[in-house]
Amino acid sequence: MPLDIIVGIKWVPNTTAVNIDPKTGTLIREGIPSVVNPHDLTAVEMALKLKDRYGGSVTAISMAPPSALAGLEHVIGMGVDRGILASDRAFAGADTLATSYVLAKVIEKVGKFDLVIMGHETIDSSTAHIGAQVASWLDLPYVYYVVDAVLEDDGETLKVTRILENAYEKYRIRLPAVISIAMHTFNPRRIRLSEKLRAKMEKPIEIWSIKDLDIDPNCAGLRGSPTVVSGIDFVPKVPRKNEVFQGSDPKEAARWLLNKLIEEGLLDL
Amino acid sequence: MASKKMLCSEWEPINPMEYRGIWVYVEIENGNIHEASLQLLGEARRIADELDTYVGAVIIGYGVKKLAKEPIYYGADKVFVVDDPRLEKYYPNLYGDVVYKLAKKHKPEALLVGGTMRGRELAPYIANNLKTGITADLTSIEVDKETGDIILIRPPFGAWMLAHIKTRNRRPVMGSVRPNIFPTPERNENRDGEVIEETIKEVLDSRMEYLEYIPIEKTEDIPIEKADIIVSGGKGLGSKEGFKLLEELAELLGGVIAGSRKAVDAGWIPHDRQVGQTGKTVKPNIYFAVGISGAAQHIFGIREAKRVVAINIDPDAPIFENADYGIVGDYKEIIPALIEVINEMKMKKSGSNKPSL
Repeated sequence: MPLDIIVGIKWVPNTTAVNIDPKTGTLIREGIPSVVNPHDLTAVEMALKLKDRYGGSVTAISMAPPSALAGLEHVIGMGVDRGILASDRAFAGADTLATSYVLAKVIEKVGKFDLVIMGHETIDSSTAHIGAQVASWLDLPYVYYVVDAVLEDDGETLKVTRILENAYEKYRIRLPAVISIAMHTFNPRRIRLSEKLRAKMEKPIEIWSIKDLDIDPNCAGLRGSPTVVSGIDFVPKVPRKNEVFQGSDPKEAARWLLNKLIEEGLLDL
Repeated sequence: MASKKMLCSEWEPINPMEYRGIWVYVEIENGNIHEASLQLLGEARRIADELDTYVGAVIIGYGVKKLAKEPIYYGADKVFVVDDPRLEKYYPNLYGDVVYKLAKKHKPEALLVGGTMRGRELAPYIANNLKTGITADLTSIEVDKETGDIILIRPPFGAWMLAHIKTRNRRPVMGSVRPNIFPTPERNENRDGEVIEETIKEVLDSRMEYLEYIPIEKTEDIPIEKADIIVSGGKGLGSKEGFKLLEELAELLGGVIAGSRKAVDAGWIPHDRQVGQTGKTVKPNIYFAVGISGAAQHIFGIREAKRVVAINIDPDAPIFENADYGIVGDYKEIIPALIEVINEMKMKKSGSNKPSL
């Protein structure tokens, strides 16, 4: 039984490249390259593994400005069949309610699907909201933190294993359904030149606007977002002693440190 | 036209003024109330007092009635209980739908959910059913003195800043809170409150079947959020093997090991040992940051550590600005030196205290 899978991806600033201005304590964002959210690549890998095993198709979807096309090209290079970018000025400023709404409308318009797969969370905002919200919009069963999924013989249910803080849980879930993949479950496969060439020939990426999706503008972007940032504070900096050992002998450094901690009553050796 | 902004056609119109009470979803884990839920009851109490309203607790499941008074001892005024055999197993959509129905009926002003893995799975579904906003991993809550609005505060990308998040025209205001952000209030059996038993006529068809629960055997028994001494490693360790040295030091001091997000991302240490904004907030007496550059998100997670020790080869690493004691150098030399000196000190002490044979 083939599986038609939709996988959600987000184009995010590469946080590992982010630096902090030592004077102001703020982020230096200029020139920060963007990447596909690494946890979404894990989700893409899961989708491709399922496709390898059962056949079917994988469609990647995203809501972002046009620059995110590069992210869809990346996952098409991994073997994703089709990419859809929901992109419109009216989508700007969306919180997770408005974002999930647009993605749910994209999924509805794709129409034929058995499974929606999301990453664990994004590395930029880390909310992990979208999977559950999409499930709510589409009234689909869902489960997070999946590490394994097997299609049952009836072709209509998926047996999933998911991980929690202290346990694994196994569920049977009727399709269509939404799952999110636990971070680091798989290493995403590399981009293949043949897939990139195919992408160049077939141009499998479409851009859908608010009109294409027939979305009420009051439900998208800032207007469709109940939450707004009403102010920004700086995190009060915790005062620290900032004493640094002057010298180069490791044992002397060790004695210096341990004596400090013992004097303060924090260590008893 | 000076009329109100048009509402999203998918949203049911509501009157925010009708919404009163600060609710906490009480998570049951293996028959007990999760500590994260108790912590939220304390914070809900503070907010409710400021707004002159009540604290509501929601308990759903099967055989949970016996726990109904417990939230009252921790600060709740009303406990809404749904004890129903159809809720014996946790399915996110089923539980989400029941909490949604209760919130729709009783109209709370705010609904807080503990940011456990299940809580982070459940909360956005409830919020979405209510067509309200939700803030993940909030770290504090304020009440706007003038408007009475509840403001949720969370560190966004780059934890030096705190975003104040307001929910416009939709209620309840919803947020998830990671465990140990707020302290657990004291249990007081003399507190009074009301238990309200609710029944749900029709429950959602979950389209799921619970098959198995397999506990994970943990080798280390002290969770990092409860440890007095933490030896934490980052990308600067260069490899998974580096953690063996840290483990040796931690064991010698009766502490535990932890890691930065980069160490977790590299697969050197499990996710439940991650310190930082997207990991855990820790409160040890001594926090050793070894090979950790000191990203803002990490510093946020150690803000309540009594003393921070930085060991890093890069003298310009931001961790030194956020440490009490710093040693610039290669951890492969410093940690063994620490282990050696600790052993010397311990030997000296045992030598002076015990009569020699």
